Amino acid sequence: MSGWGRFLLATMCGLMLAGIVHIAAVLSVPWLSEQDAFSRLRGTLAADRSEIIAAPGKETWLPHPDPAAALAACAYNLDEGPLRVSARTSPIFESLSFHARGGGIFYAVTDRAALRGVLDLIVMTRSQLDEAQANEDEDEPSHDVRIVAPRREGLVIVRAVAPFPSQREQAETAAKSVSCVTEPVSGRR
Amino acid sequence: MRDARAPAAKTVIRRILSSTLLVLYALTLALGLGLGSAYWAVGGGYPFGSIRVGPWTVWSRTGSREADPYARAVMARTGDTPLGVGEGLLLTASADNSGQSLDPRCVYRIGATTPQARLWTLTLYDGDDQPVVTDLARSGFTSAEVVRDGDGRFSIVLSRHAQPGNWLRMPETGRVSLALRLYDTSVAAGSAALEARALPSIERLECAR
Repeated sequence: MSGWGRFLLATMCGLMLAGIVHIAAVLSVPWLSEQDAFSRLRGTLAADRSEIIAAPGKETWLPHPDPAAALAACAYNLDEGPLRVSARTSPIFESLSFHARGGGIFYAVTDRAALRGVLDLIVMTRSQLDEAQANEDEDEPSHDVRIVAPRREGLVIVRAVAPFPSQREQAETAAKSVSCVTEPVSGRR
Repeated sequence: MRDARAPAAKTVIRRILSSTLLVLYALTLALGLGLGSAYWAVGGGYPFGSIRVGPWTVWSRTGSREADPYARAVMARTGDTPLGVGEGLLLTASADNSGQSLDPRCVYRIGATTPQARLWTLTLYDGDDQPVVTDLARSGFTSAEVVRDGDGRFSIVLSRHAQPGNWLRMPETGRVSLALRLYDTSVAAGSAALEARALPSIERLECAR
């Protein structure tokens, strides 16, 4: 093969490998990053209540924070069992979003979905859901709202928005009073 | 015989050397281009899936399960936690109606309606993507705070100097951008209900030199 032919072949191989490197690099960012929300909130894994990550008038690492909104978060790991999230609603707008680590949002709900003033949901893995369904009493089915998480690790983000500056404290209280408790797997309740 | 072998060995060595160089060249190309393009793609904002409606930009899938790998990488890099579909909708603008970048030396009027939502907030950000800090302690308006006329229409003026009505103070210098958050809204990104007519326009009024 001529010198030019070999050079061209090497360039083609290089370009193809570059494509593979590009894809591998983009896909690995969520796993390597220490800046992502989950890594920053790893310290809240054991906490039973959501912890404030952004509140009006306070410093935050979140890009583009809404000055009228208070954000709180619970990091979870479903290895020990499903996570029960309950929020008591107030006149303040409140919403919950469920993020998988490195996988984006898999569920979001606002306080409009609350029943008798309580928003109560269970986050579980597919196998935990199967187990819960297998253990369930057919005459007394569970009324829990069950959400299947695509990954074992993730975050619950609570948003509470204050329409007026005077309600900001109330929004902060609402955001940080959501409980996130790991439950033992059981169908019977 | 010895004389005939020596040139042959030389060519072999030269071939091996040039092959090694070519392999090194291919690997450098792969790493350089692959990593460089990956960094370029996820180093800024969300690269794909944006929809432009008038001056506003919406990312239709960053708040859903369908977020692409690039969006996931950007989220991981910045620590961003976007609004989920069903929770709300974020619209951003860094230019006015005519497409000219927002300039802190100019005066802008934003109004007069927003799509239906339980609550909305409009925020002015500085070049570091943080709400602007001025001595007035106001970096935005919520739908409850904004003063409206008899028809429920509003107009917010962005200016460095005091204005009557809804006034947001521009910072002295730097890049600025706007974010409109519609909380608990029925309009979704990409739906027909999200049209330029229903969104606030950003009109440039005058510029100081």
